[in-house]
Amino acid sequence: MLLAYILVPLLGAAIMPILRKIWQKGTDSVPILVTVYQIIITGWIAYQGIVLNGSLNLERWILDQVLALRLDGLSLVALLAIGLVSFVTVLFSLRYPLDEDRRPGYYALILLAVTGMNGLVVATDLFSMYVFLEIVSVASFILIAYQYDEFGMEGSFKYMMLSAVATVFLLVAVALLFAITGGVSFGELAQGVKTGGPVVFISFAFIFFALALKSGMMPFHGWLPDAYTASPAPVSILLAGIVTKIAGVYTMIRLVLEVFGFNSVFMNLLLVVGAVSTVLGAFFALGQKDFKRMLAYSSISQIGYIMMGLAAGTPLGLIGAVFHFFNHAIFKSLLFLNSGAVETATGTRNFDELGGLAEKMPVTGTTSVIGLLSTAGIPPLAGFWSKLVIIVALWMAGFKFFAFIAVFASIITLAYLLLLQRNVFFGKIKQGLEGIREVSPVVYWPAIIMAAITVFSGILFPLVYDKLLNPVNSLLGLLAK
Amino acid sequence: MNNILVIDMIAVILLLGIGLYTLIVSRNLLRMLIGFEIMAKGVTLAIVSAGAYNGKLALSQTLAVTAIVVEVIFIAVALAIVMLIQRKKGSLDVRKITNLKG
Repeated sequence: MLLAYILVPLLGAAIMPILRKIWQKGTDSVPILVTVYQIIITGWIAYQGIVLNGSLNLERWILDQVLALRLDGLSLVALLAIGLVSFVTVLFSLRYPLDEDRRPGYYALILLAVTGMNGLVVATDLFSMYVFLEIVSVASFILIAYQYDEFGMEGSFKYMMLSAVATVFLLVAVALLFAITGGVSFGELAQGVKTGGPVVFISFAFIFFALALKSGMMPFHGWLPDAYTASPAPVSILLAGIVTKIAGVYTMIRLVLEVFGFNSVFMNLLLVVGAVSTVLGAFFALGQKDFKRMLAYSSISQIGYIMMGLAAGTPLGLIGAVFHFFNHAIFKSLLFLNSGAVETATGTRNFDELGGLAEKMPVTGTTSVIGLLSTAGIPPLAGFWSKLVIIVALWMAGFKFFAFIAVFASIITLAYLLLLQRNVFFGKIKQGLEGIREVSPVVYWPAIIMAAITVFSGILFPLVYDKLLNPVNSLLGLLAK
Repeated sequence: MNNILVIDMIAVILLLGIGLYTLIVSRNLLRMLIGFEIMAKGVTLAIVSAGAYNGKLALSQTLAVTAIVVEVIFIAVALAIVMLIQRKKGSLDVRKITNLKG
């Protein structure tokens, strides 16, 4: 069952070149089937384990005591988010103007990225994590430059070089930990790092640096807006919605929980870096003129929230971080879907050339309002609850100053997103845009799905909290061992 | 045994330093990739000597071979993108690819 998470998308990617030769029309359906399969199977596991039995049965799959996979509450949330975001990405790509001959290859790369993310989520040793991380990264490098344009290549090259540095540091840390513990699985590493000492400290510092680079936290964010802006619209949905979150944030949460524990030095550092990303990301977003670039800076700011929630070091903080991680995947892919819809309809992303699109594109305008209100944390949408949990957790953990920063950044978030909404959708219609029509249903239905998820997981928050998020907490038991 | 590890680690640090320096200082895209290659060699050496240090040679060889394979895939994709930049721009100077700002 668990191996299917890795093998099914991989198989889908592998049959793409064959399908391209014999049945080109069928290539559209394969990625849709694979992602729908993932959503259904993950939902089924959650329903079976949590709703019926009250607790999640931890699944394990072990081969020769070397390759071991595991599914727990945290990976369940992540797998659900991967399935949803890749599903809407594929739906959006159906009508996106790509070269028809290269479309199967494009789908194969998306499926390869999904393979890598799924593998990363279920892996139980540091080295497999590194290998899957590289699969995701290489697939995204190619996807960013997929249209052979100058911007794409530049964004891709920047991402590639910074990612290379991150990779090297991660591997050095793996080598150091391997030298002192004699293994790479989380269990062996956790046993080994208990002794402490300078080597453990250095390797955690390297891993921290590598993952901060990968997730685009504030001092290391240089590549992120460029990569998001330069990539084709569907690719930026995938990148912003899930790839960088899985590669950077999920890996960080997993390693902190399973290997390093809440080391006070690094948790304080994470808190400061998270707060800096939250505030500066929001301020940078305020000054942008480009739809996608503003959303990219907003992403940096939201990642800061997740990291602050994790750094609080309490069960409540962890729940907030994981819920915000899931919410961010949903509402950020919703906003990127809308930016893609606006770009396909009008051909531009510049605020100066846009305006008054709400009349012409009612569905896009409405879903975008829902997305921005959720991002800014307005009740009763899902984003409000996760931010509230993070802020309360920070306050209760004694970081009152950082709780204030989180509230403050939330206000700036509302400011820049309202600016976006006013510039693009409200007000008088700009000259030359009178003939714009709503995008095709294939493009706006994904946005409706995402908006519905945001609304319902907000309204049904008590249920989500009990059933989906509390199992995450059982992970904290790992720390006691 | 321990002396060899110290020598290995010095070599690893040197390789990482040279690679990082090359990556930061060079203006040519290909040279930047060479810098990454030097760093990757240092990492491979680190993994192998870690295995020699704790006696788990088989595991460390597996890790080293996998790391080399991943690195080759990475460099193949990177070279493809550098080639496209060269075709589009006719230059490999990193100062000339600065369209994205802000």
